[in-house]
Amino acid sequence: MKAFEVNGNTLSLALFTEVTNSKELLDSMQSGTLDPEVAFLNASLIPDVFPLLAAAHKTLVAKSRESLTTRTLHSELVYNYSGSKHITESLKRCGISESSTYVLAARFNSSSDEIEQKAVEKLINGKEIDLEELGGRADQAQIQKHYKITSVELGISSLADAITCRIASRDAL
Amino acid sequence: METKADGVDGSLILIKQGAEARVFESSFVGRRSIVKERFSKKYRHPSLDAKLTLKRLNAEARCMTKARRLGVYTPVLYSVDIVLHTLTFEYVEGPSVKDIFLEFGLRNGGVVEERMDDIAMQIGHAIGKLHDGGLIHGDLTTSNMLIRAATNKLVVIDFGLSFTSTLPEDKAVDLYVLERALLSMHSSCGNVMDRILAAYRKSSKQWSSTLNKLAQVRQRGRKRTMVG
Repeated sequence: MKAFEVNGNTLSLALFTEVTNSKELLDSMQSGTLDPEVAFLNASLIPDVFPLLAAAHKTLVAKSRESLTTRTLHSELVYNYSGSKHITESLKRCGISESSTYVLAARFNSSSDEIEQKAVEKLINGKEIDLEELGGRADQAQIQKHYKITSVELGISSLADAITCRIASRDAL
Repeated sequence: METKADGVDGSLILIKQGAEARVFESSFVGRRSIVKERFSKKYRHPSLDAKLTLKRLNAEARCMTKARRLGVYTPVLYSVDIVLHTLTFEYVEGPSVKDIFLEFGLRNGGVVEERMDDIAMQIGHAIGKLHDGGLIHGDLTTSNMLIRAATNKLVVIDFGLSFTSTLPEDKAVDLYVLERALLSMHSSCGNVMDRILAAYRKSSKQWSSTLNKLAQVRQRGRKRTMVG
């Protein structure tokens, strides 16, 4: 896992391919028995960590004001990353499904001790790969469709920046 | 300062104070950023003030991102905070068009003529794209345009007075404001406006009705006469 500093908190990320137990993860997440609590994201929609950090920032600000829209801090991250106001749809598209094999796990303020790090890695049956691989493995067509990004916009902007703008401006629309 | 830092990463350094907002430099999850804070006006009724501030904050965020969708470079929006009334966006490294033009006026021509042409063309194209997409900038001045140092591309900033409209009148007034600004600030640069309009004509499909209107606006000024 790699930790990023966001607003005085940390967000730890780990990227996995060939995940085989998505159904289990989904079940334990939905029943709230996931321990430790982690957010699972559909990694093919994430071309870079920056938009995710922007979503994390937004999540932490909402948390500090006790104004989360969804039930938990970690589901809020998935919801915020989606750039949409539709919660169910957001969790479906940007979270994981039963058949997901390419997953990004994210955890806020994960303690740096080995035991917890191991616990997160143990949850997921898959191969952990470097975060650098996000760019190459992202599904550009799916991203453009989900975030409604046209080729005109991509002429002046990276995919990641276009997503960041949508995450930031969602509530202004 | 404690509460100000809430929602923003690092320290805030004031770089500009205007009538509507204060602009700070800061950092956002590891990137250099600009924070624009719309402060409340004490002379307004509190409930009206809250409504106006929020409405304008949201409008600015919308217009900035709409411009990007139309293919015009604007800073990447990082975050909108409706409680602190702040917008956080990308720090664009580079001089303003105003500074470049002023310097050009001092040096008077030469090789930089090409650069001048390039900038005027980029301005015309950018405004053409905004207008065809139904977005009026509202405050087109040379200080609201930057040239990104790394790429030499024009970046349009400050959408605080922007709105959406497809009326030739609004587009013409938008251009007229720029024309007046160029005349008063950069008269030594020659007829930049002509070059801007030439580029505008190329990139805007509705150039004809807008430029006709511009001719009318020139006769009467920015404000419409409400007589008759």
